[in-house]
Amino acid sequence: MRQSFLRRLAESVVILIGVALLIFIMLRVVPGNPIEIMMGEHANQSTVDRMTAELGLDKPIYVQFFRYITGALRGDFGTSYSLGKPVSSLMRSAFGNTLKLSVSAAVFAWVIGILCGVLSAVRAGGPADHIFMGFSLMGVSMPVFMTAMVLQFFFGYYLHWLPISGSGSWRNFILPAIALGWNSAGAISRLTRSTLLDVLQEDYIETARAKGLTETTVVLFHALRNTMLPVVTMMAIQFSGMLSGAVITETVFSINGIGRLSVLAISGRDIPLLQGTVLFSTAVVILGNLISDSLYSVLDPRIRREA
Amino acid sequence: MIHNSDMTLEVQGLSVSIHTRKGTTKPVNDVSLRIPKGKIIGIVGESGCGKSMTARACMGLLKPPVKIESGRILLAGRDLVGLPESDMCAVRGSEISMIFQEPMTGLNPVMKVGRQVDEAVRVHRHIPASKARQETIRMFEAVGIPEPEARYNSYPHELSGGLRQRVMIAMAMICRPALLIADEPTTALDVTVEAQILRLMKELNKAGTSILLISHNLGVIAQVCDYVYVMYAGQILEEAEVCALFDSPLHPYTRGLLESVNSLRREEPVLETIAGSVPDFLHLPQGCSFSPRCGQCLERCASGEPPLFEPEPGHKVRCHLYDKDTSRI
Repeated sequence: MRQSFLRRLAESVVILIGVALLIFIMLRVVPGNPIEIMMGEHANQSTVDRMTAELGLDKPIYVQFFRYITGALRGDFGTSYSLGKPVSSLMRSAFGNTLKLSVSAAVFAWVIGILCGVLSAVRAGGPADHIFMGFSLMGVSMPVFMTAMVLQFFFGYYLHWLPISGSGSWRNFILPAIALGWNSAGAISRLTRSTLLDVLQEDYIETARAKGLTETTVVLFHALRNTMLPVVTMMAIQFSGMLSGAVITETVFSINGIGRLSVLAISGRDIPLLQGTVLFSTAVVILGNLISDSLYSVLDPRIRREA
Repeated sequence: MIHNSDMTLEVQGLSVSIHTRKGTTKPVNDVSLRIPKGKIIGIVGESGCGKSMTARACMGLLKPPVKIESGRILLAGRDLVGLPESDMCAVRGSEISMIFQEPMTGLNPVMKVGRQVDEAVRVHRHIPASKARQETIRMFEAVGIPEPEARYNSYPHELSGGLRQRVMIAMAMICRPALLIADEPTTALDVTVEAQILRLMKELNKAGTSILLISHNLGVIAQVCDYVYVMYAGQILEEAEVCALFDSPLHPYTRGLLESVNSLRREEPVLETIAGSVPDFLHLPQGCSFSPRCGQCLERCASGEPPLFEPEPGHKVRCHLYDKDTSRI
């Protein structure tokens, strides 16, 4: 198992370098000169040329890439054109906020999603099932920006219970966590429900009942672990998606996170910052998949042996 | 007539119904069974004749829309029908236990087999984990699992089909139930393993457990059972001591079943079959449910459902051919 994990890790490094190369080339072939955007319309040509030389943009592309990679290995991702600060420190402070948002949204999504899914499955066809599944359907079908604005209006503006925007205290993160997490909760509860319903039809569930276990024990100790196999994969993918930047949620609630930083980088043609955020997102997604695969083999002994 | 106190389980007039949009069906229709202490009783019949449903009803494992319509299931004199779920949980696995057809899928794939077995003893006897583990290992030894200590930590996918069925039997037997219901326990196994499992069941029976063996395989029934019930379309068509049934089958259906068994001594090149197929429960024929397929069908078979006649002592048959009151023929 360790061998397969190491192989996956090596593959991940290769993917990461590939993505770095791809994004590097793409940012340089798209039209629009970043220096001109940075300096504004009225900059004269000699200043533009001087800046281009200073930033090393006049060098051949392979030299630029080599410089970038060697710098990145040392933790230096260059300096943001638009903000004038090192990309690494910008990302570090943004990541703090994104992490808080993602963790709270994920905890909300997992707890509510699994709970609703399990209760719906054991009461399939009943009123609780309809209520929970309606709640889930709303979560998956309502766009995040709309959920966010409804929450802001109701709990922030109308009831004055929670702040509408910002990232100063933990109270700032409650509404964004719900807005972002509801969507995932909906998907998780629907997957949990359908998988659990399938698992409850399995022969070993009948065996567990025939042993004299109560229905609660059967569901919690025999069915749920088998149900979690596909759910864990979905949870990991969703979580890495949140970590790599919940662009809409962060923008609507004015949270200075990775998502907002990416938007800033794109609109300002800020190449170092954009490279940094894209590379970071890639790394997070790869890591998320790696963790979900490892969890899978913890949950399912059959995979442990094959690996 | 055996006295009631000698009965492990007595099923009286059990009917099971399923309500669906298309209508209500009765997969088990007025079934009565008697399982005396220390005996092996067989139920034989084709797939879908209601034999597994009868077993599940005895275990209280029927889930809506399937439910017990009427009848009594007496376990040592106590009626299990209508018992609250919590009381039924205490009965299941402890007084009656069951093993299923599919040892491949009958064990939880993500739990160690030892844990699955000692769970049964822990839930009923509330003993500490270490003691439960010892009991399990002892039980593994008793059912012939080699290297029981090592096997305790195995996962189901690491064991062969025969070993898994032994694990299932260990699980069912660990609380020493009065009755073991075996629903097609050897159908998924190859013949050599089948012989071993049947031998094991006979040993368990000698040690005092009554067994209800459900099978479509007449050979298996003949090998181990003392008394046999033949089921068709949710009803008992014939019941007798195993020798009487195999030597002189009375019901045309039973005779058909026995003729369609292949034998080494058989001289005819073509195997006999029973014409037609099992009726749809939603559209059961009027009168005797076997009448459309029966070669000896009388006029009234299609109109009146026959009661159980007892042409020979201890040998009952549900067929108009054995009505002694000939005036009605």
